[in-house]
Parts: sequence; C-alpha cells; structure tokens
Amino acid sequence: MKSQKFWLFLIGAILLVSAAAGALVFRGRAGESSALIYQDGECIRTIALSSVDAPYSFTVEWEGGYNVVEVERGRIRVAAADCPDQVCVRQGWISTSAVPVACLPHRLVIQLESAAGGVDGMAG
Amino acid sequence: MNVKKLTRLALLTTIALIIFMVEAQIPPPIPIPGIKLGLANIVTVYAMFALSPGETLAILVCRVFLGGVFAGQLMTLFYSMGGGLLCWLAMLLLRRLLTKKQLWVAGVFGAIFHNIGQILVAIALTRTPGLIAYLPVLLVSGILTGAFTGLCAQFLLARLDKIGQNGGPAD
Repeated sequence: MKSQKFWLFLIGAILLVSAAAGALVFRGRAGESSALIYQDGECIRTIALSSVDAPYSFTVEWEGGYNVVEVERGRIRVAAADCPDQVCVRQGWISTSAVPVACLPHRLVIQLESAAGGVDGMAG
Repeated sequence: MNVKKLTRLALLTTIALIIFMVEAQIPPPIPIPGIKLGLANIVTVYAMFALSPGETLAILVCRVFLGGVFAGQLMTLFYSMGGGLLCWLAMLLLRRLLTKKQLWVAGVFGAIFHNIGQILVAIALTRTPGLIAYLPVLLVSGILTGAFTGLCAQFLLARLDKIGQNGGPAD
C-alpha cells in the first residue's frame, strides 16, 4: 500500500505535465496558411487561408446532415450544423493548427496546416 | 447470482444511468468534445471497491450502452465504451494497491484512462492523429473531475460501510 503522499505527488506530476503540454499546444503559432477539410478521414478540400480576399461560406454534407463552413482571411469555423451536439459550432473560429475543429457525428475535421508541417512537425 | 446481488447491480446501473442522463442535459462549460464532469464514474469507482470487477464491468457496459441508446448518439456510445473499458482496466490494476481511503486515486486514474480511451477511439474513427492534441487538455480536466468523483465514491463507501450496506465482493 502506497501512502497518500505518493499518490498526491504522482498525480500532481501528471497534472503539471499535462498542463504544460496543453499550454504548449494552445499557444498560438503564427504563419498557418492552409485549412484542410477532412470527411471520414479523406481530405475533400484545401483552402489557402492567407489568400482569402472576401469571406465566404460553403456547405459540407454527410449522410443527410450538413455543416456550414465559414472562411475568412486567416481563420475558419463551422458556422452552423445540424449535428446533435453542436460542439463544432461552439468551438468558433480557429486560426492555428493547435486544435482542429472536429464534428464527430458528421466525421468532419478541419485542420489548419502551416507550411512547416502542422501538428506532425510540432510533435517531431 | 442471487436475487439480492442482482437487485443491487440493477439499482447501481439505474443510478449510474440517471446520473449520466442528467449530466448529459447540462451544457458543457468548455466547447471541447470529451470534457465533462463524468459523475457516473462515482458508481464505477464505488462498485469496483464494494463489489467485484466482473460486476463493475456489467454495470459499466450496461450504463454506457443504455446511455448511448437513450441519448440517441451512436458516436457517444463508441467513445464512452472505449473510455469506459480502459478506465475499468486501470481500476482493476489499482484495486489491490489502494486502501479504502485512497478511492480518489482510482477516480483520477479511471478518468485519465477514460480520456486516453476516448482519444484513441476518436483517432481511429476519424483517422486524424492530430486529435491527440486534445489529450493534455482532457487530462487536466479529467484529473480534477476524477479526483472529485473518486472522493464522492470514497465517502459513499465509508458511509455505507458504517451501516453495513455494501454487500461485498462475490469473488
């Protein structure tokens, strides 16, 4: 049987490491250029965000459902969707590759990628 | 399995399911999928230490399946099942290591492995390895909520011990 202190230290350490990793991931990194839109794991559309002149939106359909994706210079969001949880809509605009917008019910993922290689580059 | 045991399991499953459904009605405070209080975890931690691992697994699987069906979200079912099974495995290993005053530790590790399971399922389903970026955030919230639900289970076990209503492991 380990003592309460042992578990406190262990859990505290894990908490600190995750908080640090989370902060690293969320620290915005500039220079993201293109948005990749994946549906069911396949990239269906690539948008060069840095060269968007006027805001526009388009609809991605999935098995009777839809997501309205809105694009502005340097950022992208899901403006509306008929998925049950609305998590993708509430996440709002993203402008860094830190966290992708994911609409899990519609298997839709919007991932920003910098010229340097996005999340994979960061992990390596 | 006698009637008393069966009733106890049915009751715990019902309680877990009700907690799960009520919690599902509360809008998530942070718009990141997978972050929630996980109050139903109280029942899992409690059952793991008051009853046997097998019975806990039965409660967990029934709760996750029925919860998924009632919430009408098949995807939620997959994530919860992946998370739930990994959480169960972690608690199974911890079960012998912890005293009755350390149930909160089981809550924390249960939550950590639940998060890892969720992410693995999400990565497998969406084929987006980048989702791993969610993990640190999920872990921070999971550790905090896990400590809370684990403590709840710890107090529950202590109170029910006092009045001799814990049943006892069947193994």
